[in-house]
Amino acid sequence: MAASCNSNLPRRIIKETQRLLSEPAPGISASPSEENLRYFNVMILGPNQSPYEGGLFKLELFLPEDYPMAPPKVRFLTKIYHPNIDKLGRICLDILKDKWSPALQIRTVLLSIQALLSAPNPDDPLAENIAKHWKTNETEAVATAREWTRMYASGV
Amino acid sequence: MDDVPSSEEETSDIDTGSWSDDEDMPAPQALYTILSEKDIKDRQAEAIDNVWTVLSVSKTDAGILLRHFKWSVSRVNDAWFADEARVRETVGLIEWSVEGDAYDGANKLTCWICFDTLPREDMKAPVCRHYFCESCWTGYIHTAINDGPGCLTLRCPHSTCSAAVGEDMVLSLASEEDAQKYHRYLLRSYVEDNRKVKWCPAPGCEFAVELIPGSTVYDVTCKCGHQFCWNCLEEAHRPVDCDTVAKWILKNSAESENMNWILANSKPCPKCKRPIEKNQGCMHMSCTPPCKYEFCWLCLGAWSEHGERTGGFYACNRYEIAKQEGVYDEAERRREMAKNSLEKYTHYYERWATNESSRVKAKEDLIKLEKEKIEDLSNKQCQPVSQLKFVADAMAQVVECRRVLKWTYAYGYYLKVEEQGKRDFFEYLQGEAEHGLERLQECAEKDLKDFLQADGPKSNFNEFRTKLAGLTSVTRIYFQNLVRALENGLSDVDPAPSPSRSGSSKGIGSSKLTVSKSLNGSRRGSASGSASRRTGGGDEPEYWTCGRCTYGNPMAAEVCDMCQNVRGL
Ligand SMILES: [Zn+2]
Ligand SMILES: [Zn+2]
Ligand SMILES: [Zn+2]
Ligand SMILES: [Zn+2]
Ligand SMILES: [Zn+2]
Ligand SMILES: [Zn+2]
Ligand SMILES: [Zn+2]
Repeated sequence: MAASCNSNLPRRIIKETQRLLSEPAPGISASPSEENLRYFNVMILGPNQSPYEGGLFKLELFLPEDYPMAPPKVRFLTKIYHPNIDKLGRICLDILKDKWSPALQIRTVLLSIQALLSAPNPDDPLAENIAKHWKTNETEAVATAREWTRMYASGV
Repeated sequence: MDDVPSSEEETSDIDTGSWSDDEDMPAPQALYTILSEKDIKDRQAEAIDNVWTVLSVSKTDAGILLRHFKWSVSRVNDAWFADEARVRETVGLIEWSVEGDAYDGANKLTCWICFDTLPREDMKAPVCRHYFCESCWTGYIHTAINDGPGCLTLRCPHSTCSAAVGEDMVLSLASEEDAQKYHRYLLRSYVEDNRKVKWCPAPGCEFAVELIPGSTVYDVTCKCGHQFCWNCLEEAHRPVDCDTVAKWILKNSAESENMNWILANSKPCPKCKRPIEKNQGCMHMSCTPPCKYEFCWLCLGAWSEHGERTGGFYACNRYEIAKQEGVYDEAERRREMAKNSLEKYTHYYERWATNESSRVKAKEDLIKLEKEKIEDLSNKQCQPVSQLKFVADAMAQVVECRRVLKWTYAYGYYLKVEEQGKRDFFEYLQGEAEHGLERLQECAEKDLKDFLQADGPKSNFNEFRTKLAGLTSVTRIYFQNLVRALENGLSDVDPAPSPSRSGSSKGIGSSKLTVSKSLNGSRRGSASGSASRRTGGGDEPEYWTCGRCTYGNPMAAEVCDMCQNVRGL
């Protein structure tokens, strides 16, 4: 594979970027930063029927040097109350770690994150406290998530 | 593995060093096989052949199966014949389907890693027919190999496919360097997945040691010369158990800050206060001229007060006596109670550490001896090298005894104070052993030097031979007793039916003592051989031998000098 830096971006990244811009996935926008074409500003709309409905969540995504052999690095910038997302915005998602495959793409990653918002998984927690809250009193936890969405994720 | 015959490796039923298997005392032995890289590769190849023949799968698939089942042919067979489909799914062995793939007929394909479109022949796919270009494969394999041994169970890069990527594909696409790493992991998996095989912990050593089921002793000697406990991987520590060793090592690291001073290699001469460096292994120190004061390295007491000649007990192993000999008088000692536990620890630690440095020194000497000195000695004393094996035997005995003695101090530290009887017996045996060892080492170091530095052959060389060989076998017996007693947990041991001791320290090495020793071992570092027999010479006996501790007492004495046993019992 070609060595890659900003000026010499691998064809794969160029193609992925073009496609993300020309055919965006519903509820997701991703655009590369002008200074660094490996750095993407991402917006994800809170899915319907989830505690995050109505929220607009800002994320950052970075493609490391060895992408696509290594997974992209993704992080929530908007505060979110979710058992698989910690207070630094780091996400617990298998395809971002050991289940990464070079045949996956930025699009698949973002769709998986969107799905994670619809289906929080408190059994594989990253934020212990939130996961505990979710398991002991889901109604209350969901209410808190809605509250946070209203406070931090509306009206960017 | 379990079911693979290992005809090619020699099985070393090595005894753990110096304990010869007397007819009357079969020493427990560690049974083990030392595996070189080649041995391991051969075994792997053999296992693969086995699976390949029985299951009619490819060799690559056999390798995938064996890696999953930890290189056990029988486990592969059992699982396969119980539920082949399940095994295939678990390890990713997808069966080639006759149906064509989606790309059939296409001349060009897109690689879904780099998004390039390339001629089909430049693309590679596992049996699942997920095609990727060669450079992406190489990158994928490179990433996996550099991630660690997980590369041995590599799967297809397609995100929802779990087809295994086997050895042949990996090696055909990996760079030279990556292929080497992969081979390394492959080799290591045989040892690391196998509970009966462990790597020798010596730095840089590439041998592995397989313990043969039924072996109750863990001390093994690697082909690199490193002796270690197969169970806990610490250096060999027989007769002390692994738990005690672990506790002791932990304790040492906790105390190490307090102990720094002990590690200093010099002490002031008790008489003239000049610093004296310990450069020989034995505890008998001589200050440099003009002082020439002879003293004991451990207690700094005059050497003349040591040993049997004064009728006194050889005291340096004994904590109680060391305290009495020490600077504290009774009142002062009470005030120092708070310091007592450190003091006690210090006592044992110092002796443990001193014996270790003596062991290291003796081992270096032994290597030097075998490399060059034995030639010198042969030339100087006009003796064929083949007749000089007794010197190396003596040094090897010293090395082994220092190792045992060292660990007995860890043992002693944890012996309960309440068990006075055991404690006495232990200290008695340890004292005997230590005393014998001091004499042996002194003879092996100092007497040998005389012969090495001599201008020509000395007439008393044969006396030296007799003395050193005699001391070697006597010391071996003391240590056998010590090891056996400790391994029995000092439960009422009846002393080993060891050959009678026919003389005092003066007597040993004199012409009264003949040693017949068949030197059968060619093993370095092991003084094993057949039982040593000592028979009294022609003279009238000057000593009676204590039935309990084997000490040779003057005919005039009615009780044993050593253990107060009444004569005749
Ligand atoms: Zn596949
Ligand atoms: Zn490619
Ligand atoms: Zn080794
Ligand atoms: Zn051990
Ligand atoms: Zn002096
Ligand atoms: Zn002493
Ligand atoms: Zn006695």
